[in-house]
Amino acid sequence: MVEERRWLTPADFTETIGLCQVLPGPNIGNASIVLGKRWFGLRGAIVAFLGLMGLPYCWVLAIALLYTEFSSIRIIHSIVTGVGAAGAGLFLATAVKLGRPLARKPAALALVAACFVAVALGRISLLVVMPVAIALGILAARKELV
Amino acid sequence: MILAKLAAFFGVLSFLTFGGVSSVIPEMQRYVVEQNGWITAGDFMQLFAVAQSAPGPNVLISSLVGWRVAGFAGSLVALGAICLPAGILAWWVFELLDRYRDSPWRGILQRALAPLVVGLIGAGGYIIATPGAPDWRLWLIAVASAAGMVATKLNPLWIMAAGGLAGGLLL
Repeated sequence: MVEERRWLTPADFTETIGLCQVLPGPNIGNASIVLGKRWFGLRGAIVAFLGLMGLPYCWVLAIALLYTEFSSIRIIHSIVTGVGAAGAGLFLATAVKLGRPLARKPAALALVAACFVAVALGRISLLVVMPVAIALGILAARKELV
Repeated sequence: MILAKLAAFFGVLSFLTFGGVSSVIPEMQRYVVEQNGWITAGDFMQLFAVAQSAPGPNVLISSLVGWRVAGFAGSLVALGAICLPAGILAWWVFELLDRYRDSPWRGILQRALAPLVVGLIGAGGYIIATPGAPDWRLWLIAVASAAGMVATKLNPLWIMAAGGLAGGLLL
C-alpha cells in the first residue's frame, strides 16, 4: 500500500499500526478494517479484511487437515510436538525482546512477574488479570515507574 | 450450542487482545483445555505448532481451535468472533483516537500495557511448552529456540524446523 500504490506515506502507515496497538483486537484485523475504510468505506474494509485473511485461512486449514491424516504416526507426532516447543521458545524470546526496555524498572518487572505467575501457574482468567494489571500499570505509568 | 459458546468466548477475547494475539494464547488454552475440556493440552500444542508454521497472521490459531472443537463452522465462527467485535470498535473510534494522537494518555496506556503483554506472552510460552507434567525435553527445545532467536538473526522458520528435528530425535 505504501510503496506500490502510494495510498499512504510510510509515516502514516507506522502511525496507523501504532494506534491499532492501543486498541484491542488482532492487529491484522484492525489495521485492514481501518485502512480499508479510509479509502473505500465499508466495502473497502470488508475487502481488505477478506483479502488479508482468506488465503492464509485456507492454507492453515489445509495443513491442519493434512496433518490430521498423519498425526497417528508416532514420528510425525513427535516432530510436530517439537515444532510446538520451538514455537513456545519463540514466544519466550519475544517476551525477552519486548521486556528489555523494562529491565531497569523494578515496578514493571514486578508486574511482568505477577502477570506471568497469575496466568501461567495460577491459571487465573484473563477477565480478572487484565483489569487489575491495567489499573496497576496506569498507576505506575502516571508515577513514571514503568 | 458449542458454536454459541465459541462465538461468545472469542467475542470477549477480541476486546482482551492487546499487543497481538500472542498475548491471549494462555486464555485461549485455559478456556478450551482447562475449563471446558474440549481438547487436551497436547492437542492444543499441536494446533499451535501448525498455526505457527503455516504462512499468515497468528490470529489463525483461533480458526484452528474452532475447527478442532466444532468443525468447519467452528473455524469461521472463532475467527470471525475474535476479529469482528474489536474491528467494529476500531471502525468507530479510530478517527476519534487519531484526533487525540498526541494526548499524554496514549503514552500512559502504552506503558501500562507493556508489562502485561510481556508477562502474558511469556506465560504463553510456558503453557505451550508444558502440556502435561514438566518434560525436560520440551523445555530444552523451547529454551534453545528462545536463545537462538534472541542471539541470532535466523528466520524463525529455521528455528522451528530445528525444533521439529529435535522433537523427532528426542520424543
